[in-house]
Amino acid sequence: MFGANPFWYYLTVFFEGTVFVYGIMLLLLYAMLAVMSFLNIQLYQKKESYTDYKVVVGSPLAPGISVIAPAFNEGLTIIDNVRSLLTFDYPKYEVIIINDGSTDDTLSKVCEEFSLVKVDFAYNIKIQTKEVRGIYKSTDDAYAKLVIVDKENGKAKADATNAGINASSFPYFLCTDVDCILHEQTLSKLIRPVLEEDKKRVIATGATLRIANSCDIDKGVITKIRAPRPFLARFQEMEYIRAFVLGKMGWSLINAVPNVSGGLGMFDKEIVIKAGGYDAASFGEDMELMMRMNRYCYDNKIPSAIRYIPATLCWTEGPTSLKIFMRQRTRWGRGLIQLVLAHRKMFFNPRYGIVGLVMFPYNFIFEFLAPVIEFLGIIYYILLIIFGQVNWPYAIILLIFVYTYSIMISTIAVLWDHLTSKYYKDWMDVVRVASMVFIEMILYHPLIVIFALRGYIFFLTNRKHSWGNMQRKGFKKSEAKPATA
Amino acid sequence: MWKVFYDLLLQAYEQFGYQPLFIKIALAFIFIAVFATLIAYIVILVRRWRAYIHDKRLASITPKIEDLITEEVLLNEKLGIEPVDEIEFNQDAITDKIYKQKWVRQAMIDILISYRKNFRGEVGDLLRKLYIDMNLTKDSFDKMKTLRWEKKIRAVMELTQMDIQISDVTILPLTNSSNSSLRAAARNAYIQLSKNEPFKFFDIATEPLLPWDQLDMFKIITTTKDIQIPNFSRWVSYSTNKSVVSFCLKLIAYYDQQSAIPAVMELLNNKDHYFRADAIACLGKLSAEATEPKLIKIYEHQPLICQIEILKAIGQIASGRNLEFLKQELAYSANFDIRMNAARAIISHGTEESKAIVDELLETSYDENKLIIKHCLNPLIK
Repeated sequence: MFGANPFWYYLTVFFEGTVFVYGIMLLLLYAMLAVMSFLNIQLYQKKESYTDYKVVVGSPLAPGISVIAPAFNEGLTIIDNVRSLLTFDYPKYEVIIINDGSTDDTLSKVCEEFSLVKVDFAYNIKIQTKEVRGIYKSTDDAYAKLVIVDKENGKAKADATNAGINASSFPYFLCTDVDCILHEQTLSKLIRPVLEEDKKRVIATGATLRIANSCDIDKGVITKIRAPRPFLARFQEMEYIRAFVLGKMGWSLINAVPNVSGGLGMFDKEIVIKAGGYDAASFGEDMELMMRMNRYCYDNKIPSAIRYIPATLCWTEGPTSLKIFMRQRTRWGRGLIQLVLAHRKMFFNPRYGIVGLVMFPYNFIFEFLAPVIEFLGIIYYILLIIFGQVNWPYAIILLIFVYTYSIMISTIAVLWDHLTSKYYKDWMDVVRVASMVFIEMILYHPLIVIFALRGYIFFLTNRKHSWGNMQRKGFKKSEAKPATA
Repeated sequence: MWKVFYDLLLQAYEQFGYQPLFIKIALAFIFIAVFATLIAYIVILVRRWRAYIHDKRLASITPKIEDLITEEVLLNEKLGIEPVDEIEFNQDAITDKIYKQKWVRQAMIDILISYRKNFRGEVGDLLRKLYIDMNLTKDSFDKMKTLRWEKKIRAVMELTQMDIQISDVTILPLTNSSNSSLRAAARNAYIQLSKNEPFKFFDIATEPLLPWDQLDMFKIITTTKDIQIPNFSRWVSYSTNKSVVSFCLKLIAYYDQQSAIPAVMELLNNKDHYFRADAIACLGKLSAEATEPKLIKIYEHQPLICQIEILKAIGQIASGRNLEFLKQELAYSANFDIRMNAARAIISHGTEESKAIVDELLETSYDENKLIIKHCLNPLIK
């Protein structure tokens, strides 16, 4: 096509060569992750086969954990949400709900339901946040674990979480969203990797998240796990399984986990505070915090680790409207470009060990650059078609290759998920999720690419971001079956 | 039809050789990907099917096993009349051919263990006898011989829960295994099964006692009946294994071993400040009044973690001799956590003198310190 002009000719050769190497590296990386995650899941399953978590429940040696959950205008569901968070099987924990300047009746509802009164609380500002207006505790002993922090709206979850960290009294904290539904053994299961590590300080642990949209939920407790019925949510379920069970479990084996999800993660409070807490100006505050915690540990020569477990411990409501989904993924895209630029000094920097040599380059090359390369690839392909330069038999073979490979990787993720636990009781749910792998590449993946690029463009053009509301629909309540005689 | 298919394959094979390398690789990967995907789906199906069958079989066998246990153990007429060792089971029932199947025997072991957790005394002993008479010990000991560590752990746990002796030659090396899970299970078993020296492995332990394993071990030590509790200061003084010493400090505090105070005090000179913090916490829990002067003396040069532990310890000892020191720390320390812990320590004294100091500080302190005191006084904040 560009043969007549040497500049275009060499550019074409360079582009094709780069994309070829990039593609091969990506495929090999996924194959490697599949193997590493398998080994890690096997190890986890072996340990789970004889572990009795009741031992933790009765132990005076279990470390205290603060559960931090910010809430903004959650008046409709807040009571069930708080009740759900108060049901952990763990001996020493507190639940800190941060009312992030809600304009609805969130605070009054909670105060009334849980007999809360404002207390003289010595709030220690270790991380700067918007002003805290008051702290509430219950006069009812049954809710002694509950703390409500009422603060001015900080326009970011990060600011609210930081206020929760300031008010917390235990050395570890679990960061979640107030409407997330957590497994009752979440605290025991997430603290285990921390207490099992001898030579390194485990600074964060995470577990798998799933989409709760079609699950049956009663008073904040999941009564039946189902695959989401709406297509968009089901695609996300598939994406989460692949990202957590295959991706993060694989990275966890070599201590190169790039991110602990904001929906569910347990953190070492001391390191978080020393690293400066969550950045309220970041669009990907969870990923950004992990990077700073890693940097802090390397700079201070603290041998550290981030661990993941394959068990699903958190169910969250996934966006079902394309508009909200677009807003979420655009924000993630902005967060990624922010992160890459802010921590560029870590790129292939041996001073930061595996984080600098593997984790950060992976984030840059295969997370940040992927949408750009894919987009350019499509443009290039279209040009080749226009100029009649496509060798169709070969092009089709290569397309089938990429398609079948992506199906294989996603199917392996579904299988690995099955090795962990049989979450779906109904086999039709397995079919529903597994069927997504065949159309994901055609329908869902292009959306991810477009929204990520939108995020990059918004960042580069410094476009103002509106956080917006997630506009949750709430969960389906399980219907009580009539008693049989 | 087969001929057409065969010809097509042959044609494809012949053409394959003429393709460029990257197409050859792509074709090979397509074949691998399709094959691997199919295998993955088959494995998912098979696993779900096997789990379904296993659940179904288990649901059918469980009532039979429970009936056997009810008849032979719970409702055994000889129970309480004859010594447990002399009670004979119905041989026809326990040698039924159904109990020869491996999975049934494993189900039997699991159910017996769950019953034994709920029944002690003679019923517990008779459950144990049933386990022995059905020769289930062999199944557990066979598992001990495998190379798979998770199976070994299951075996150790089964034998321990059924109170079956494992020889020192077998179990002691496992207490220092490089596999942390196996090591923890073996250590827990040793404590429960060894009648004379349950803590002997502390002497040879070079591998760490992980905090996760300490949870289980602490529970076993503090709940197992008739266990001989030694003076843990022995390991505080002589063990080179830091995790063992740290665990012993917790046990010393739990069993209020006052005689261990001198040994614990020696640790105040240790270079590891986390270790010193553990020792100070232990002295506080022991209410070791004699150590107060030493704690005050070293306070100034300690890192924050140790200073906080010293303040807590002084609050727990509550001799009243260091109220002025605590007052000074609350009034003048720049560190929030120090002031908070100093306030708590003053309040925990609960004497007239400490109450007077609290009242005075509430009147004279600046706003933040007043808030700290109010925070510590509020019963709603724990």
